[in-house]
Amino acid sequence: MTAWARRAAPTLSAWALCVVLFAIGAIHSSGFAAWDNIRDLLVFASFVGFAAVGETLVVLGGGLDLSVPWVIAFGGIQLSHWASIGGGAGIVAVVAVGAAIGFVNGVGVAWLRVPPIVMTLAVGGLVQAYLLAIGLLQSTGNQLPAAAVDIATSRVAGVPIVALIWLGVALLVGGLLARAALGRKIYAVGASETVAELSGVDVRRVRLQTYMLSGAFASFAGVVISGYVGQTYLDIGNPYLFTSIAAVIVGGASILGGRGTYWGTVAGAMTLTVLGAMLPLFGLSPAGLDIVYGIVILVGVWASTAGGALVLGRIRHHRRRSPQLPGAEVQHAP
Amino acid sequence: MSAATTAATPSPLVRRRSRRIPWSALSTAAIMVALGAADVIIQPNLLNLFQIGLLLQTALPLVFVAAAQTLVVLVRGIDLSVGGVLVVANGLTVVTVGGAGGDHQLLLILVLVVGLAAGALNGVLVGVLGLQPFIATLGTWTIFNGIALTVLPTDGGTPPPWLINFTLGAVGGVPNTLIILVGVVVVWRILCATKLGIRIRAVGADEDRASLNGTSVLAVKLIVYSLAGLCAALAGILLAGATSTGTPTAGDAYILTSVAAVVIGGTSLVGRGGGVGLTVMAAMALTFISDIVNAENFSVWVSVAASSGLLLVVVVLRGVVEQVVERRHA
Repeated sequence: MTAWARRAAPTLSAWALCVVLFAIGAIHSSGFAAWDNIRDLLVFASFVGFAAVGETLVVLGGGLDLSVPWVIAFGGIQLSHWASIGGGAGIVAVVAVGAAIGFVNGVGVAWLRVPPIVMTLAVGGLVQAYLLAIGLLQSTGNQLPAAAVDIATSRVAGVPIVALIWLGVALLVGGLLARAALGRKIYAVGASETVAELSGVDVRRVRLQTYMLSGAFASFAGVVISGYVGQTYLDIGNPYLFTSIAAVIVGGASILGGRGTYWGTVAGAMTLTVLGAMLPLFGLSPAGLDIVYGIVILVGVWASTAGGALVLGRIRHHRRRSPQLPGAEVQHAP
Repeated sequence: MSAATTAATPSPLVRRRSRRIPWSALSTAAIMVALGAADVIIQPNLLNLFQIGLLLQTALPLVFVAAAQTLVVLVRGIDLSVGGVLVVANGLTVVTVGGAGGDHQLLLILVLVVGLAAGALNGVLVGVLGLQPFIATLGTWTIFNGIALTVLPTDGGTPPPWLINFTLGAVGGVPNTLIILVGVVVVWRILCATKLGIRIRAVGADEDRASLNGTSVLAVKLIVYSLAGLCAALAGILLAGATSTGTPTAGDAYILTSVAAVVIGGTSLVGRGGGVGLTVMAAMALTFISDIVNAENFSVWVSVAASSGLLLVVVVLRGVVEQVVERRHA
């Protein structure tokens, strides 16, 4: 019980926070729990969710990716420039180039031993420079291929396709982290590079793979976000630097690596989105929203580290003799 | 001078340092001089104290934000909230100080106190609550941005005229901005010589050992983060003076640039030394890049590419050199 609870507590508390916030919104205004609103919330949360896939993997491995906002902008802008090769092929191509950008990050961090903040900052700057340059050279492409718009806006039986894709991605990434060898290696590298190395994990390769996945998913996020907005612009990714990292942290992952889950990040993305939709109902200006956002992050991270351990310690103390949850150990066996 | 107390521990360090050539400082100086020379070749009229003063007017906000970042990085932290403190101070300068009209110079002290308090909040979150600096300051960055938007919702307002005159002014032909720049470096050198300076380095090198040697790690962190808040507030005031207006969204661009300046300067992110002097040189190098780009009418992407490229090249080269040196010593 205790080992399972310790591991699952941050994820569960993130979900609890999300549910509580949603309930407050629903009680305050009847339209908040309407399907139309929930559908919009899911779509917006999925944007954060896609942007935060890579951030989750990189942070779990003990790194950080600051190039995410620029790769998001790249995904949308490059796709509009490559509209001639067809929507589907264009999306595959920009996601592949996104992975290549991640490859550069990974090589810098893993082989050249550049601190992740610096490497991803510099690469993000170069991507930004590239986008500024093609924006000047070819002022034509602003029009996104229909495929990107379709992915972002169509629905299947009333459910947005992006939400379904997000569910698929969450199952995949969640499974990867919990079951696949790569997932376990990411945790090992994040917990202790030296121990991982001594246990036969190719630390550099694992690092490289997390940054490549980060680039690919950030680029895909750019495709979906610009498809939803209907156009591309340079600053489209800017809000996602903050929200992608915040979602990971509110989701209970440790910024030092080795601890956290993608399902926690999903909860973090939903929490931030619900919060952003809810606060205007209470008459808060965008400035007030910023302030509350900041406080939520600070409280969330405090609760998932020091404060959480404090509360959990008490619970454990009270329930020392409580029976084990059926299947709990099996479910989370490494 | 308390030579007896300081001589006990740091003497081996001092001896070793005097033997080694300070490659990091030399390489940063070389980058700055090269870019500065290129700038002068392109615009020969830059060799004129008034023009230097104008160039420094645009450089000083970055210099102060980068100095703030350096202080925090020296104790192995990072401060994303410097941009937030900058815009809060910027807004207060045009709204409170500018709005008061007349010669209310003392009101600037209020702005500086707000900066100190904002920095102290970071210090409490990091030092007392034990939050990771990156996350703690990510949270306060957003909070300060929100406060800045409350103080000054949109671009506008005017700083007090005496502030604008001050940033344009000169004493005996020497521009005030140049005096401030030299002042930053001098204050840093003095700080280095004090006990506090030594303790900052000690905490950055190894918190546990610093603590065992009687340094209060908590106190050092509180002071360092507060000083960083003070420097960021000064940047906000000087930005208002330089642009003659208030911009509540100006801060974000400075955050990552300040980290870039720290790294290009050669201050280690993992507590292996560095200093504000190095960062000031790097901030000047970055300023020269954007000045050259402006003078040549290149488009913006050239400036962005050159700064990021410089960051990448410098950091990769330093990493390679470090690995080679390590291998030779091993």
